[in-house]
Amino acid sequence: MLTRPTTEQVLVGIANELRDTVAPEVRSEPVQVLLGQIDQILRGLAVRSAHEIAWMHEEADTIAAVTGTDVGWPASLHLDDVCAWYDSVSRTLSAALDAAFAADDSARVAELKLLLDARSATEMKIVGALDLVGRG
Amino acid sequence: MLDPERMPQLLGEFLARQQPAWRNIKVSSYEVMTDGYSRLLAKAIVTHDDGHEVLVLRGDPPSDKILIHTDRELEWDLVRTLNEHGIRTPRAHFFDATGEHLGTKALVIDFSHSQSFLPYVGAGGSIEGLPARLADALASYHAIPIDDLPAQMERPASWEAYLTQRIDEWRRTADAHVEDLPILRYMAGWLDAHRPAPVPLTLMHGDFQSANLMISDDGHFEILDWELASIGDPREDMGYFKAVAQIAPPDLLDDAGCEEMCARYRELTGLTELQVNPAVVAYFLILGVVGTVRRLLEGGADYARGTNHLMGSVFNMNSVQFGQSVWLPTADALGPVLDQLAAAAAQIQENV
Repeated sequence: MLTRPTTEQVLVGIANELRDTVAPEVRSEPVQVLLGQIDQILRGLAVRSAHEIAWMHEEADTIAAVTGTDVGWPASLHLDDVCAWYDSVSRTLSAALDAAFAADDSARVAELKLLLDARSATEMKIVGALDLVGRG
Repeated sequence: MLDPERMPQLLGEFLARQQPAWRNIKVSSYEVMTDGYSRLLAKAIVTHDDGHEVLVLRGDPPSDKILIHTDRELEWDLVRTLNEHGIRTPRAHFFDATGEHLGTKALVIDFSHSQSFLPYVGAGGSIEGLPARLADALASYHAIPIDDLPAQMERPASWEAYLTQRIDEWRRTADAHVEDLPILRYMAGWLDAHRPAPVPLTLMHGDFQSANLMISDDGHFEILDWELASIGDPREDMGYFKAVAQIAPPDLLDDAGCEEMCARYRELTGLTELQVNPAVVAYFLILGVVGTVRRLLEGGADYARGTNHLMGSVFNMNSVQFGQSVWLPTADALGPVLDQLAAAAAQIQENV
């Protein structure tokens, strides 16, 4: 299969065309708002397409180490299988958090929270600078 | 409202039924407005023999385009109550409760001639003194006796029961989503471990943010869009305002602004500094967004299941992720301060 230009490159290219070529021709305000939202969605998808499978694996490794759990492996590297496996890994983390709060174990809560900070940092690499187009 | 081309005629006929005193009604202008995410909005200029009216129609979108499910009957009843209590919000005049006249259930309210707050700020308008005006706006509708609010609004049994239910909403929201959300489960545990001092329950706006505020010529806020109102902890509206202001500046509740707002609010309501202070506002910054977070996640989940096809639902997932990036460090900074406040409250209780 042809892999270049990459999915990331093409998605960014579509976003740029919509922003620079299509949007200036649009007079309808609701459609301009929609294009603004699509622009941000496409740019986020570009980042995800480039990294999300690797990022899910990297996070799972850390969760496994901190919780002391064997989180297994996805059934394949197809995205649906990786997402289903990542969901099960997230449940491991959630269960560990619930247990730490129930035990009033603040040291354990703090340790697990570092995993959430890392997850959030990854999410913000995808979101980028949030612009609530259409509000106000 | 679903067919703007037909609306001048339909609105004219509806107004003629609702207001027989208006003779020779003519809808001279009907413009779709884009300001709201959740409801259809339109501005209409109506002339009749006695003068002219500038009205806003606010109705439900088609069922497959509904981002957030809310109740127009309740909104109508509530806005009428707000009008009776003199709250600064556009007056509600008419209601098509079935949608048979306007094409969808819709309220007809006054058009506000005040300026939208965000464009006001964007154009360089002064924000000096506005944190106190924000407290005025909050205290105005928080003061409405609960017994005066529409009967269909749920009354929580107690503040404790209310807060427990709100915290549990974080867990229920996480459980209901299409994938596991450990950050929401963490926030539920954290909120439970850092409960603030209780206050009397009041009417809550539920979406109290700059985009829903207008500023009048005399420098007071008018409040729009009551569709998410409920009865709850009044400090949720403060926290929610701050949460949204961090995404869409200006943040009237920055360090100095929050102190100013809290002081004015305490003066107006008689609540104490242990009950209303910047740390507690920040606590509710987190707690207060759960209703919106749930609705946004429901939209994203519906998209993932293929039961809606709204780009807005996908776009809103960015707001959830941005919110998470704010809640986590806020919890880190706030925990020790809330622990100190709880210790001070316990000490006062002991001395009593």
